[in-house]
Amino acid sequence: MKGYAGKILRVNLSDGRMSKEEIPEEMMRKFLGGRGFAAKILWDEVSGVDPLSEGNKIVFSTGPLTGLPIPSSGKMVIASKSPLTGGYGDGNIGSMAAVHLRRAGYDVLIVEGKSERPCYIAIQDEKVEILDARDIWGKMSFEAQDSLEAKHGKNVGVLVIGPGGENIVRFATVMSQRGRAGGRPGMGAVMGSKNLKAIVVRGTGEIPVFDVERLREMGKEGYGEIKGKENYDFWIRQGTMQVFEWANENNCLPTSNFREGTFRFSKRLDGYALERLKVGRKGCPLCNMQCGNIIKDAENMNAELDYENVGMLGSNIGMDDLRKVGVLNRMADEYGLDTISLGSCLGFLMEASEKKLIEARIEWGDFDACQKAIEDIVKRRGLGEIIFEGVRKASERVGGDSQDWAMHVKGLEISAYDCHACPGMALSYGTSPIGAHHKDAWVISWEVSTDRFSYSKEKVEKIIELQRLRGGLFESMTTCRLPWIEVDFGLHWYPKYLEAARGVGISQEEISELGDRIYTLIRSYWVRESRSWSRKMDYPPSRWFEEPLNQGDLKGYKLDRARYDGMLSRYYEIRGWDEDGAPQKETLEGLGLGDVVSVLGENG
Amino acid sequence: MLSQSLGKMAEFRFLGYLGEIFGKKRVRISLESPMKLRDILEVEFPEDRSIVLINQRVGNFDSLIRNEDKVVIMPMISGG
Repeated sequence: MKGYAGKILRVNLSDGRMSKEEIPEEMMRKFLGGRGFAAKILWDEVSGVDPLSEGNKIVFSTGPLTGLPIPSSGKMVIASKSPLTGGYGDGNIGSMAAVHLRRAGYDVLIVEGKSERPCYIAIQDEKVEILDARDIWGKMSFEAQDSLEAKHGKNVGVLVIGPGGENIVRFATVMSQRGRAGGRPGMGAVMGSKNLKAIVVRGTGEIPVFDVERLREMGKEGYGEIKGKENYDFWIRQGTMQVFEWANENNCLPTSNFREGTFRFSKRLDGYALERLKVGRKGCPLCNMQCGNIIKDAENMNAELDYENVGMLGSNIGMDDLRKVGVLNRMADEYGLDTISLGSCLGFLMEASEKKLIEARIEWGDFDACQKAIEDIVKRRGLGEIIFEGVRKASERVGGDSQDWAMHVKGLEISAYDCHACPGMALSYGTSPIGAHHKDAWVISWEVSTDRFSYSKEKVEKIIELQRLRGGLFESMTTCRLPWIEVDFGLHWYPKYLEAARGVGISQEEISELGDRIYTLIRSYWVRESRSWSRKMDYPPSRWFEEPLNQGDLKGYKLDRARYDGMLSRYYEIRGWDEDGAPQKETLEGLGLGDVVSVLGENG
Repeated sequence: MLSQSLGKMAEFRFLGYLGEIFGKKRVRISLESPMKLRDILEVEFPEDRSIVLINQRVGNFDSLIRNEDKVVIMPMISGG
C-alpha cells in the first residue's frame, strides 16, 4: 500500500544483528501505523519480561501521514513496556527523526537487546551502524544533540536521552531538538537500560505517496485554514498556556499536590504573565502553530514552557514565579525527565515533608530545594532515592497515608487537571491506556460546558469518542492533534489526507473500529503483563474521593466513589470488557484479535 | 438601557481570545430588566466554541441575565 515506506528496521544491540522486514498489508489495514503498530509489535514480541532487561524492546513508530507536507505531521510514537508502570507505555514526540526515518525507507525502528557499552544508532538510508557513544554518555540532552550534529551534520534527526535516562530514572523521557520530549512512562529509561544514548537518522529518499500533487494542494489549503482561524493569533501568543487561566477559573488547576483546584498566585503564572516574558516560540517539524513558548528564565537562559509544565512545576508545588518554573523546566529537559511526573514527584516530597513522613525538609515553593532535588533524582541519592521510581513506589517507601495522595493511575503521574469536581476527566485518567495522561481524552472542556457534576452515560460515551479519535486515529496516522483540538482545524481533512497518501481513505466506522481495536489490544497487554490485574487499576487516587476542595467556588466538592464505579462499569460495557476491565472473547474476535483470546483465556 | 454606573449590576468576564473579541476582559453592566445574553453583549461570539457559565451553572447565549448575575464566557479550549 502507498503511504508507507513499507519496512521495519530491527536492530539488536546485544549481538549487532540488523534486519529489514516487510510490513504486511494486513497490519497496515488493521493498525494504521504509529501507536497501532507499536501496540501490535509489543503484544507479539514483548511478554513477561522485566522492562529494564535485555528482553524488553523499544519501538519508534511512524504513521502513513508522518513527514508529509500537511499540518503538524512531524511526529512519531515511542513505545515500550514501561519501567514506570509495568504495562504498555508510549508517548509521541515531534522530531526531524520522524521525518528522516520515513525518508530513509522505514516506518518503524525496533531496538532490542542491550549494548555492553554506551552506543548510539546511526541510520543513513540503507546504511545502519551501532557506534560508540562513550564521549557523549553523561552529557545533557542539549549538549549531546549538539555533539551529534557536529559529527553528522545539522541535516539529521536526533533522538537522545539525558543523564536521567542513563541513570534509569523511571520517568525519563526521550528528547529531541533541545526541548521536544516524548515517552512519559520512562521511554528514556528503557533506552538507558540498553546503553543506548541516541538515534541519529538521515533519509534522502521520498516517502511513497499515492497522489502527491493532491496531497500538496490539500496540505497547503490546510495550513492556510489554520492561519485563518479566529483564535490563531491568540494561540500564537499563548499556546496551551491559555489553559492556565481557564483551569484556575474552573477549579481544576493542580495546586499543592492536587489538594486544591485554584492557586492564589495564578496571575503570576498564567498566559498573560507568559506573554510579558516571552522572547520566542519553538515547535516540531512541519507545524505552523508551534506550541513551545520561550522565555528567559531566572538564570537568563532560554526555557520552553507550556501549560502542563507550568501547572505541574508551578501551582502544584507552590512555585509562583514563572521564571523559576522556567529553570526547573529547562533542567528537566536537559536531564531528560518528564516535567509532569517531576512536578508530581516534587509535590509528593513536599507533602511528605510537611507531614514528617520523611526526614529531609522540602517546603512548598522552595526553588533552591527543588533544584537540588532534581539533581538528587538524576543521581539517585538523598531525596532522589525515595522518588526516582515515581510517586507510586515512593508511597510504598514512605508509608503513612501517602498512598492516598500519591497522584497517579497505574503508576503514571496524573497530568495537570485536578478532578475533585470533574468525574468525566477522572474517568478519562482512569482509563487512559498508558496510565494517567490527558492526551487520549481531554474531556474536561466538554464536561464543564455540559452537566459538570454528573456521572452520566453521555459522559462515558464522549470519553470513548475522544479516545477513538485522539488515542486511536491521531496517534496512529501519526500527526499532532493540536490543529484540530486547539484552533478547530477541520477533522474532515484527515480521511482526505489518508486517501491521498495511501490511495485508501478511512470511514467513520473504520476510525471507531481502529480505535477500539487498539484500545482493546493495549488493555489486553496490561491484563497479560500485570501480576494482579483488577478494576482497581482504573481508579484515580483516594484524595479526590476522600478529601474535598477547601478553597474556591467549588469548596466542599469531591468525587463519589460509587458513582465513579458506575461510570467505569458503563465504560467496560460499551467497550465489551468484563467487570474487571478485561476484554471479553467475543469483543476480541469481533475486532479481529482472535489470537489474543488464546492468551487471555475464554473470558478475556 | 445599559449603564455602567448604577448600583446593582451584572458582571461579565471573558477568558482567552474571547476577551479580545469583546474588547475587554471584564465589564459590569446594570440591566433595567432581565435580558438575553446575546442582546446584552452585541458582539458575535463563536457560540459553538464557547462555554457560558452563569453563577457557576452552564447557560447559553439565550439565557436571561439579571443584575447581580456573574457571567463567565470562556472558549472551548483543549489543553493539549
